[in-house]
Order: sequence, then C-alpha cells, then structure tokens
Amino acid sequence: MDPILRIEHVSKTYTGHQALDDVSMEIPRGSIYGLLGPNGAGKTTLIRVVNRMTIPDCGKVWFEDHEITPDDIYQIGYMPEERGLYKKMKVGEQAVFFARMRGMGRFEAIDKLRKWFDRLGIIEWWDKKVEDLSKGMAQKVQFIATVVHEPKLLIFDEPFSGFDPINANLLKQEILGLRDRGATVIFSTHNMESVEEICDDITLINKSHNILSGSVEEIRRKAGGNTFLVIYNGTQEQFNSAVSGKANLLGDPEGLIGGYTQQKIHIASDDDVRSVIGSLNDNVALRSFQEIIPSMNDIFIRAVNGTL
Amino acid sequence: MNKIGLIVEREFTERVRKKSFIITTLLTPLFMIAMMVAPGFMMMKGGSSTKNVMVIDNTTDQFVGKQLTSGKTVEFKLLGEGTTVGQARTQYSNADIAYGILVIGSDVLDNPQNIQFILNDASSMSVEENIQNQIQGILRTERLSRYDIENIDQILADANIRVNGLQTLKNNGQEDESGMEETSTVASWAMGLILGMLLYFILIVYGQQVLQSVIDEKQTRVLDVMVTSCTPFELMMGKILGIALVAALQIVIWAVLVIGASAFVMPMIMGNSGMDAMTATASAASDPEVVGIMSKLTNVGYLAGLFLELLLYIVGGFLFYASMYAAIGSAVDTPQDAAQFNGIIMMPVIVAIIVMMNVMNDPNSDMVFWCSMIPFTSPIVMMARIPFGIPTWQVIVSLVVLYISFLLMTWLAGRIFRVGVFMHGKKPTWKDLGAWIKMK
Repeated sequence: MDPILRIEHVSKTYTGHQALDDVSMEIPRGSIYGLLGPNGAGKTTLIRVVNRMTIPDCGKVWFEDHEITPDDIYQIGYMPEERGLYKKMKVGEQAVFFARMRGMGRFEAIDKLRKWFDRLGIIEWWDKKVEDLSKGMAQKVQFIATVVHEPKLLIFDEPFSGFDPINANLLKQEILGLRDRGATVIFSTHNMESVEEICDDITLINKSHNILSGSVEEIRRKAGGNTFLVIYNGTQEQFNSAVSGKANLLGDPEGLIGGYTQQKIHIASDDDVRSVIGSLNDNVALRSFQEIIPSMNDIFIRAVNGTL
Repeated sequence: MNKIGLIVEREFTERVRKKSFIITTLLTPLFMIAMMVAPGFMMMKGGSSTKNVMVIDNTTDQFVGKQLTSGKTVEFKLLGEGTTVGQARTQYSNADIAYGILVIGSDVLDNPQNIQFILNDASSMSVEENIQNQIQGILRTERLSRYDIENIDQILADANIRVNGLQTLKNNGQEDESGMEETSTVASWAMGLILGMLLYFILIVYGQQVLQSVIDEKQTRVLDVMVTSCTPFELMMGKILGIALVAALQIVIWAVLVIGASAFVMPMIMGNSGMDAMTATASAASDPEVVGIMSKLTNVGYLAGLFLELLLYIVGGFLFYASMYAAIGSAVDTPQDAAQFNGIIMMPVIVAIIVMMNVMNDPNSDMVFWCSMIPFTSPIVMMARIPFGIPTWQVIVSLVVLYISFLLMTWLAGRIFRVGVFMHGKKPTWKDLGAWIKMK
C-alpha cells in the first residue's frame, strides 16, 4: 500500500545538539504507527518536523504524493503530550475555535463537536471552563479538538497518559475506530502495552537514530529468535533424546503441578521446528508447544541497550 | 488572513468578557473623575487642620512677629519678649499644642537667613512656604521704607508688569491677517503632552498584555496546538491586532464615560459651590494661556484635523512596539525572564517622553526633529510636535519611516517568534535571538 507519509533522511541540529540524524521511515496508509523511543531520543522533534513546526536541516517529508506543504497541515491532527488548552475559555467555544482554525465552518464545527462530546460523555461540560475540568476530561476535549476536522493523518503524543483504564480503553476504541474509517494514526509513547495492543507498525528511535522499524508482529517474532516453551509429561531423558541435535535446552526444566515439566528450548533452524514437534510427540506426552514472543517492553529495552 | 481574523476574534472576545476588563474599564474613569473632583473638594473643606506656630521674635519691637498674619492653615502665637528658645521648647513640646516654634533672629533685617523653625511634627512645605513668603514681604517693606521714597507702593505696582502670552499666529503668506490661524504654544504643548502620555500608557499597558499573552500560551502549550493550524506570523499578528482592538474599545469607553461624567454627573454631585471652587482653581491661574488651552481643546474642528494624524501615530507606534513585545514573549518562559528585554524596550520610550517634554522650548530643534523621525521615538515625540504645526512633509516622511519600520519589525519579530515559541528552558541571549532571525 502506498505510504501516506514518507520521511527521508531527515536531520536536525539545535545549537550544539543533534536531535535527529538521518532518520527515514514510511507510514503505511490506514495503519496505526508507533513512534517509540526513550526520553530525549528525538520523537518530539520528528513530530514537529512532520507538523512543519520545525524545518529540518536536511531531508524531506512527503505527504501522500508530494513534498509536504503548509496546506497539508489541515490534513494532520496533532495532540501534543503537554496538553494545550486555553484555561479560561469555555470548553465548547474553545473546541469550536480550534475546529475553525483548521478550516471548518462554525455550524459544521458545532454540530460535529456536539456529537463527539456526547459520545465521550462530556457534553454537560460544554459550557464549563477548562480550568474546572479534571486532567482526564481536559484530555478528552483535546482529543476531540484533534480529530473533529477528520484529518487523514493523526498524531498523538502519549494519548493515554492521565487516563484511568476505562477511559483509556474508550479512547483506544475511538482511535481504532478512526483507523477503520480510513485515518492513519501515528502515536508516540513509552507505554509498550498499548503498542502491542493497537500498533500495526513501529519505529524505534534512540539517540536521534532510527534503530528499529517494521511491523510489530514481525519484530517480536524476530526478537524471539525461535525460542519455544514446551510442557510435557515424561522423563528428562526421553525429552532430551527427542530434541537432541535439533534444539538446545535453555535453562533447567521446571516441575509443574500435575506431574508436568516445563522446558525452554531454542531451535536454530525454522525447518527443524516441525520435526522437533514430531519427535517430542513420539517420545513424551506433549501438553503444549509454544513460541516465546518477547514483549515490546523487552524489545524496547534490549534495542536501546544494543542487545537485540 | 482568515486565520488572523479568527485569532483576533478570540483574543478580543476573551479579553472583553473578562471581569478584570469590565472592572478596570469602569473604575479607571471613576479614578480620573476623582482626580478632577478632588481639588474642588479640598478647597471646599479647607484642607487640613490649622497648625499652631509659636513665634519668638528677637527683633526690635518684635516688628516681624507682630506683622505675621494667621490664616486658615497657620495660626501664629507671638510669645512675650525675652522668652528663650529653651523655655519655649520645654513648654511647647507637644505637637497638639504647638506645631513648631519659629525663632527670628534679632539681626534678621540684615541677615535674613537667621530664622529657625523648630518642629514638633513632620515638616510641611506649605507652612514653610507661608512663613517664608510672609517674612520676605515684611522684610522687603521694611527695607524699602528705609529709603523713604514717596508713593513707593504705587511706583512698584506700576513697574510690576507681566506679559502673559503672545498672540501667536501662523503665517499663511497673505498680506492681511484674515484667515490666519491662531496658534497657542502652551495649548499645543499641553495637548501633545496629553496625547503623548496616552500613547505611553497604551504602549506600557497593552504592550505588556501582548507579552503576557504570548508567555501564557507558551506555558500552557496552547501554542503547540495553534501553530499546527496557522503560521506563527498569523498567530502573532492576530494577537497584536486583537489586543489593539481591546485597547481601542477601552479608550473609547473611557472617553465617553469621562466626557459624560464631567458634563452631567459632576455638577450634580458637586453642587454649585463645588463647581465654583473648581472654576476658581482654573481662573486662579488666570492666564490667557489656560483660556487658550480650554478653547483649543473644545475646538472640535481643530481636534478632528489633528485626530487622523495622531491616530496614525498611535496605531503605528503601538504595532511597532507590540511586535517587539510579542517577539520577547515568544523567546522567554516566564515574565521574570522577560524583564531584562523589557528594560531595553522601555529605554527609547523614556527617551521619547523626555524629548517630548522639551518640545515646547523648540519644536524644531535638531534633537526633536531626529527623534520625531526615528521610529522608536517618533510616535510619542510627534504627538507633541504636530499641534505646533510642523511642515506636512515631515509628518509624511516620519509616518512612512514608522510604517516601514513596523513592517520590518513584525518581520523580525515573526522570525524570532517562529523559533522562540518552541524553545523552553534556558533564557535566550541576544546572540541566540540573532541566530534565530538568521535561521532559515
């Protein structure tokens, strides 16, 4: 599928500090794309480059089929990590103002906003001032202000911070819904659980470099490196003879309730997986054979530490 | 352009609806009226309590002490001959009984410095002045009488001429005097001063609001959201123009309230005696100059003629300075950090105020001329110069320079703004600002 956004060899140096160094990536249309990285890795700078808030020193950003222009910002909705709302302004008026700033007409904006407010259960706050809202509610307002003009590309910086699990889930469903209706979502986060749950693809940035890119599934599988967890009923000798020559044992076997034993193994070649399962099945009472896929959290830490 | 309009609308409505706007808009005229009414009231109530001054006069026959006349503010009590200072000081040490003790030396006629005033209470300029003037008069008369000239009082009165104000006319090149415009130096100056001060006030109060507004948005990170929907330049202009509109509205309301109040409300609350007292204050000065100012300030045609020119200066001056304030606001994180840059902005404004005060001496001196051309000072200085009737070309050149500088300044400010709004943390140096301007 053609990418909605393409970042080509972007570099940016602030006085004496390189924020981005030759970063490239492609965001597939209609995907949810995770932009990961430790604090200060350059994520925010990259987002600003995409938003045209910062002009890169070199490199290009392509939006759809052309180099990004000022008019394209209408097609981008951006929710910064540090939420920005006018504290003294009434919630509804404020949302209308932002919607109009992004090119919507007043009445269209009011109409759509009221629907959104209704949906996220904050319609009764329409006439309240932002300073009277809780953090979570202010965030919902910010979320609505970001998506109401139905941009093609949405950029969320840490969208779930400050939400309780119920509201985080509500927001997650909304983000998935937006993708299903055709929007592309980039989101920048440290929360790896949410990455596993909703991201299709990711890029991991560390120290201003792109160190890891690809689909979440593929990355996790690769990082797993053909490690499997086997649960069986039988003697250790039977087990060892079944896998010998094709797999290495990782660690010691562990006894489980009900006479079962659990053992981690590593199979060097993909081709051997089937035959290992076959011979195990013949030699022991095989209960479970499962690939160990590392969590994004592990991958993140390993990648940043350079041990992936 | 559409975006700027939206931002202007938001800035304007948000500010105008604020309680603080409504309060200051209503209270300031009250304060101004109070300032106008106060002298009248003071005159009616006769000021503060009478002060008792004990007088020890060591001159022959106590001729000075005997001639001192008590008035509303000072009550003189001449102590008997031979009273020593020490005695008086112990006897009259209570401030309630005696405000002070005046000691007049025996040789005061030849050595007028030999007067002491021992105070039990805080000193008072007006009391001291009263005493000085009285003694001066007494000594003067006494000295004159030494010469023994007949009709000396009449001669002196006759010789004491005052020329109060020239009839100043503007030469229009015609032979006869018809159609020559009457000008008044003092009237022009007073008017320019008032307008210059008004602009100064606008710069300080509303310029600061621009600064504050940018810092606030930067702190709340609204800027991050805003600049993804408009250019920093649009944002900056929207803010400046929105606040300019608020300023315009507030000043119009004040003008209406003050004029309305002085025409209708004041006579009512003051009653006739109060108004008489005020009129008395005005005519006490009794200069034809004052009358000139009054007539000039009420001459609608003259005001309307000046209005357009002055308006152009007020608008241009405000925009010029406001864009500097916006740039500074964008570069710093807190109002404290802004203080240093603020001081630099204020310097030309203060220079302009000082020059403006000097315009009366010579509205065409080199310094005044150049200061009315340089955009940093021209709006304020021109306020004072224009009422004197200066060549039109100077006004045009100065305005052109001002507006070109305004465009240049907004461009520069816009460049700083566009970088500054994303900079958090360290307070930038002048060098940083320069680098931001050059940044592509």
